[in-house]
This record gives sequence, structure tokens and C-alpha cells, in this order.
Amino acid sequence: MSGITVYSAQKIITMDPQRPEASHVAVQEGRILAVGGADCADQWGDVVHDDRFAGAVLMPGLIEGHAHMMAGAMWRYAYVGYHDRIDPDGKLWPGLTDIDAIIDALTEFQSGLAPDAPLVGWGLDPIFLSSERLSRAHLDRISPDRPIAIMFSNFHLMCVNSKALELAGYSRETNAEGVVKGPDGLPTGELQEMAAMFPVMRRLAVDFRGLSQSEDSIRTYGEVCKRAGVTTVTDLYSSLEDEDLATMLRVTSDDGYPVRIVPALGTAGADPAQMAERAIRLREQSTDKLRLGAVKLMTDGSIQGWTARVRWPGYVGGQPNGIWNTSPEQIFALTEVFQGAGVQMHIHVNGDEAAEVSLNALEAAAQKHPWPGARHVLQHCQMMDGGLYRKAADLGVCCNIFSNHIWYFGDQHAALTIGEGRAERMDAVRTAMDEGVRVAIHSDAPVTPLGPLFTAWCAVNRQTMTGRVLGAEECISVHEALYAITMGAAYTLRLDTEIGSIEPGKIADFAVLGDDPTHVAPVALKDVPVLGTVSSGTVHLL
Amino acid sequence: MTGQAQLPLTVIGGYLGAGKTSLINELLSGDHGRRLMVMVNDFGAVNIDAALLSSVSGDTMELTNGCVCCTMGADLFMAVGDVLDRADRPDHLIIEASGIADPAKIAGVARTEPELTYAGIVTVVDGLHFTDLLEDAQIAPQLESQVAVADLVYLSKAMGAEVQDRLTALGAPTVLTNRADVAPLIWSLSGDAPETDGRHAHFTKWVHQGTAGFTRAELEQKLAARPAGLYRLKGFVRGGWEVQIVGKTVDIRARDGVEATTLVGIGPEGHVTTPDIDAWWAAPLMAVPDAC
Repeated sequence: MSGITVYSAQKIITMDPQRPEASHVAVQEGRILAVGGADCADQWGDVVHDDRFAGAVLMPGLIEGHAHMMAGAMWRYAYVGYHDRIDPDGKLWPGLTDIDAIIDALTEFQSGLAPDAPLVGWGLDPIFLSSERLSRAHLDRISPDRPIAIMFSNFHLMCVNSKALELAGYSRETNAEGVVKGPDGLPTGELQEMAAMFPVMRRLAVDFRGLSQSEDSIRTYGEVCKRAGVTTVTDLYSSLEDEDLATMLRVTSDDGYPVRIVPALGTAGADPAQMAERAIRLREQSTDKLRLGAVKLMTDGSIQGWTARVRWPGYVGGQPNGIWNTSPEQIFALTEVFQGAGVQMHIHVNGDEAAEVSLNALEAAAQKHPWPGARHVLQHCQMMDGGLYRKAADLGVCCNIFSNHIWYFGDQHAALTIGEGRAERMDAVRTAMDEGVRVAIHSDAPVTPLGPLFTAWCAVNRQTMTGRVLGAEECISVHEALYAITMGAAYTLRLDTEIGSIEPGKIADFAVLGDDPTHVAPVALKDVPVLGTVSSGTVHLL
Repeated sequence: MTGQAQLPLTVIGGYLGAGKTSLINELLSGDHGRRLMVMVNDFGAVNIDAALLSSVSGDTMELTNGCVCCTMGADLFMAVGDVLDRADRPDHLIIEASGIADPAKIAGVARTEPELTYAGIVTVVDGLHFTDLLEDAQIAPQLESQVAVADLVYLSKAMGAEVQDRLTALGAPTVLTNRADVAPLIWSLSGDAPETDGRHAHFTKWVHQGTAGFTRAELEQKLAARPAGLYRLKGFVRGGWEVQIVGKTVDIRARDGVEATTLVGIGPEGHVTTPDIDAWWAAPLMAVPDAC
């Protein structure tokens, strides 16, 4: 028995320029045997025809080049964000637009909890709440006895109720930075930064990051991906302790696991040579579904937190320049070691100064250790202009651009962070492509929801939440956007010979769509339904 | 949560190459009678006398007087939680902040977590290069803030008047140039471990017992006027207060049943004298409005 399955589809968008469209794809042993018409695989032996996708459109499995495994783990807690989100089980969590709605939703969530369990929420973003600030008094309405903690979407702040304050020992007496007090001298319930949040998180056993490595979280991440049509996803700052690796290898090797994970090892504060050695050791343990060996470097913070390192003229409100998480000197040292050791780097750069320093460091490293085809990737690239993109192209450095920011934070960037002019050229995918840069676009889930078709919509339409188009000159075509979420992202992960297009020899990874993204109106791209995926030949329908 | 003694936390900050690791090596090898837990960025640079080393596994080195673990990649706060959850807590926790990090963001947890006590931020400054580094606009603000948040600055390598002036201008409360003087101040008055400061003659000690009582506002005013070189002060004050001072960090907590005032203080010789401290304590308060 040859084990060949030929799937028919309403249409197959291949992303292979030699055969852009097809009606059938033949799959054998998890790989693509042939693409074309119903007879495309006949010369290879007996085939089984499978018409379950006859009414659907197939694309190459979508690739999310910048997300975090936490995107799955979060869902054990109550979502209270402003925007609608869909959880891994397919349940819609409607966006909550005022404090009363948040209290009502949390009260309902509480009814499903054990009496002694803490109530934990996530996703709150006060930038979207025009009314008063959430406080202990609001949360006490839900329960005076059960500890309650609501994590803000930026993970730097939380609000807790009186019971949680009591558990942490916070009172009028507390005089510590980050424990916010009201005019009455009592803690308001708002806790800022980890030092202030830690005593509550410890007592409520909340560990957003540690959760990422549990078996349950790895499986949930797979479900989140499946719903978004994603068959390859990154975990772009992984600590990958030895026991975590064993769990990851075991879970991702299950036949039923629907996604290929590409972790990048976090390098903050570490000895570069040791890290490089570790990355290379990890690379040797890669499997089809777990691709190890890359590293992640942090440089600056975030633009909406005014912690990104920006060039002149700085922030429009006169805020001081942002902060380095890794000093420029150390960025140079790290890039040189990783380049010399042959380790691919993903480098976080939000502000343009961080991008400039990182490109200079990569250039210096390349002079010392030439490595054509290294494909290091700048991640976020939010403020890069033509000059920086030309330099990236010169150096062969890829750019994975944070297009979702345009919709989620574009209005705030124009008004509050970097001002109109530079906001209009933020996340400049058009310029990057025109300058010859290899481009991907991303969600940074869970910062914004995982969904490459939504991300593509952002890059095509550049609409903000208030409906304005932010920098129409930077819009790209639907085809270019679809390329970015398939072949573009595959290139940045050094997997473009294996995934990213539907062509013979590649892994049988497909996104199964309910409509044709090249035929709907560009403004409807985000509404194209995802019906499921095929991952290494295994069908995963929703 | 476990009923164990509070764990003192000291954070060591300073830019790359400033001399943080040399200081940590000294803390590890010193004869201080404490079991230490030290969290470092770079395992390789820690130089342990073989006689102290009992085993090395993965990212942890077990020592006869404690252990060193490497925080690379791991979440620092979660690591602190793990230390607190150990059945057998160390006597003192030392965390090395990475070169560009703000040590106050880490040390703050000692003021929020009830099972920790704040035992200071020591910022190490390379006297040879510091003024040059401050010329670098890309990093100067962060280096300046490392000094501004320090309770103690240890100036390694050279000592020039210019550097000293810059540090003072940035708000450094006490600047030490002799590495051997740093450790006794870190250990001073912390935890229940034995005092072994006796063999170091370089410190001014102050002990006070009295009956003076204070309202919170009065006590705040009094403590704010303390002599600059008084690095550490702890004890109880009549009126119902427990006082903890480390460098520039003042903590006043209400305590029941405090009938008398008992205080001990310490500071480096040359920065403060016993008469300075006596004079400060004896000075009259300015009138303070009644406060609750």
C-alpha cells in the first residue's frame, strides 16, 4: 500500500510561484507528494481520494514568527480585556468595556471556582477604560473572602482585592515602591512592577511564566494555534530547563500534537559563550515538531510603556528616553559570540535606537566572523525607517514586524508616544519589502491575540481602533501579506525549504480556510474563517 | 508562610566590569559565620576556594557555607520564591543584578515580601572608567540611577576626587574604597547570625537605650535628619515603632508593646562618629503638626 491521500479543495493557494493555484494536493508520509489536479499523484501508485476539504480553501500552514507559549497558559484564568478573544476551546470571551462589565464577568467566573481557590484575571488594559481606575473597592464587590488578582495586559501591573492585600501583609503601614496608596493612606489595590506584585503572586500561586512549560500549557498552545490556522509557532523567549525540554519533546512528539514549535533561548544576563554552547547542544535534540537552536536577545523596552530606546526627537510628551535591558556594549559582545558560534539570533528591537545599535553590532560581528546566510532576525522593528531597512538588507538581516500594533496601539502612538509623523511610518512593511528585506509579521501573542490572518489584515489595511488609516503609503497587498505569514516567516526561522508553501517535497502543513483570502475584500481578510489545520499530514479540524 | 526567620536580601548592582564578581568572591570566602545564597549572572567568573566547594551540579554550586546559583534564563523573582520555600533557608540572600539593570527593581521585593528583610543595595563603580561611561549618552542615565538608588557605593580600582564628587552629586550616601569594609556593613545587624565585626576596627558603633517617645511624624522627621554616614540603624522606639534603616532606606512599622527605646547603629569610620550620632539623637525636634 502506497499510503497516498489526494485531497481536493475548492482552491489551493500554494505560495509556490511555479504553480500558484491548484485543486488537489497529494500527501504521503506527512509530506507533500504532488500538487495539481485530481490525477497529480497517479504515477506514484494507488491513491485514496479524500474530499473532506472540497468546500474549503487550503493554504500553506500559517507561521507565527513571534509569540510566546504563555498565550496558551493564560486561559486557565479569567480574561477581562477590552477586545473580544476566543479561547482554545473556541469559546468567545466578549471584550469588557467598563468596570461594571468586568465585575459582572468576574462574579460569574467565580461561581465555577472551588471555595478556597483564588480568582485570577488577565488582559486588563486601563488605556481603554475611560472611567475611574480599577481598585480594591471594585474587586471587594466580587468577594470579601476570596483573594482576587487581576493582571494587566502589560504584565507590569495588577489590581487586587482587600483579601489579597491582607495575605501579602499590605496595609497603611506599607511604605514600598509600587504599592499604590489612595488619599486615605490605604493601599488602593493597584500594585506596580514585580517587586510589589510578587508577594501576592506567591501567595495565590500565580506564575504566568512558569506555567508556560507545563504539559497542559503546551497542549493549550497547540489548540490556540490550530484555531488560528497556525502549524508552526515560535516561543520567543524560552528558559528551556532540562526538565522542561523533556516535557516539550514528549508532548510535541505525540501524533495528535498539531503544531511545530520553534523556541528561542532567552539570553538575558548570561555568559554568551555558555549560552551559545547550550543553544548548539539544544539544536542537536531537534525533532520535526520541536526546532531548537536559536537564541533571543533583549535590547530595549516597549514604545507604549515609554521604555523603548528611541532616536531624536524622542517621545512627543517629553518623556526621558527608554531603558536598555541589555547595554549596547553587551549587545555587541553577545552578537559577536553568537555569530562566531554559528547560532541564529532573534533580537528584540522596538525603538529605532535599539534597532540601530543592533544592526551596528551585527555588522561588527559579521566583519569578525563572516557568515552569509545567518538570517538573524530583528523582532518588532516598530520604528525602523528606510535607512535602517537598507542596512538590514545590506547585512542580510531579516525583519519580523509587529503589524498588530497599528490597530491596537496606533492611535496612542500618534497622540501620546512618538507623534503623528513617525507613527504613520511605524511597522513599515512596504518600505522594508521595497528595500529588499526578508519580512515576516507577527502578533507577539499573548500581547495581542494569535492570528496571522488578522496580522495580515493589519499590514494590508493599517487601520487603527478609531478607524483611521495610519500611513497609507506603508500598506501592502493581500498577496504580500499572505506571503509574509507563510514563506516570509518560514525564511526567518530557517525552515523555508521545509514549510511555508505547498510544493512537492515539503511537509504537509496546511491551513484549512472557509473562504478565499485572495477573493474577499482586503478589509475582510481578518474575517476569513479558519476551519482547522493539517500538520505533518495529520488533519486537525475544529 | 513557613514560620522561618525573615531572610535578609542584599542586591549588588553596577555596570559590566565594575568589580561585582570580585566583591561576591570576597563575600563567599569571608569568615562571617553565615550560610549564604548567592544568585549570579555568570557562573564562570565566580572563584571559589576548593576548600569551600562541596559539589557542583548544573547551575548550582554547593558550598560549605551556602550555595551559588546562576540565574541565567530563569525568572529572578520565581527563584527568590524558591529560596523562601526551602525547608532550610540561608541566613542571607545576595543577588547580583546584571550590568545595566536597576538594582532597586529587584531589591524592592525585600520591602514588599513579609518573609524578606531589606539589607541594602550595594552599587559597585569602577573608578577608572566611570566618568568616561557617564559621557556615553546611551547608557549614562541608567548608570546614574544605579548610583542614585544605592545604599552603599563601593568604588573599585582608582579613587579620584572627581569620581567621588560625581558620585556624591548623583546621590551616593556612603562611598567606600576598601573592599574589606563592604562585607561587614552588608552583614551588620542583619538576621540572627553572629556578629563577627569585632576584628574589623573600621566601624563606628552606636548603642542607645532610653525612654524618648515619638509620634510617627516626629520619628520620620528625626530619622530624616540622621547623620549621612550612619549606614545601619535598627531597634524599637517608644510610641510603638520598629525602625529599620539601611543606607538611605527607612522603614518604620507600628509594633505593639514597645515600652522603651532601644537602638543600635553602625557606620564606616571616617564617615560618621559616635559624637555625631549622639548629637543627632539629642537634638530637639522642630514642632510637627499632629498626625494620625
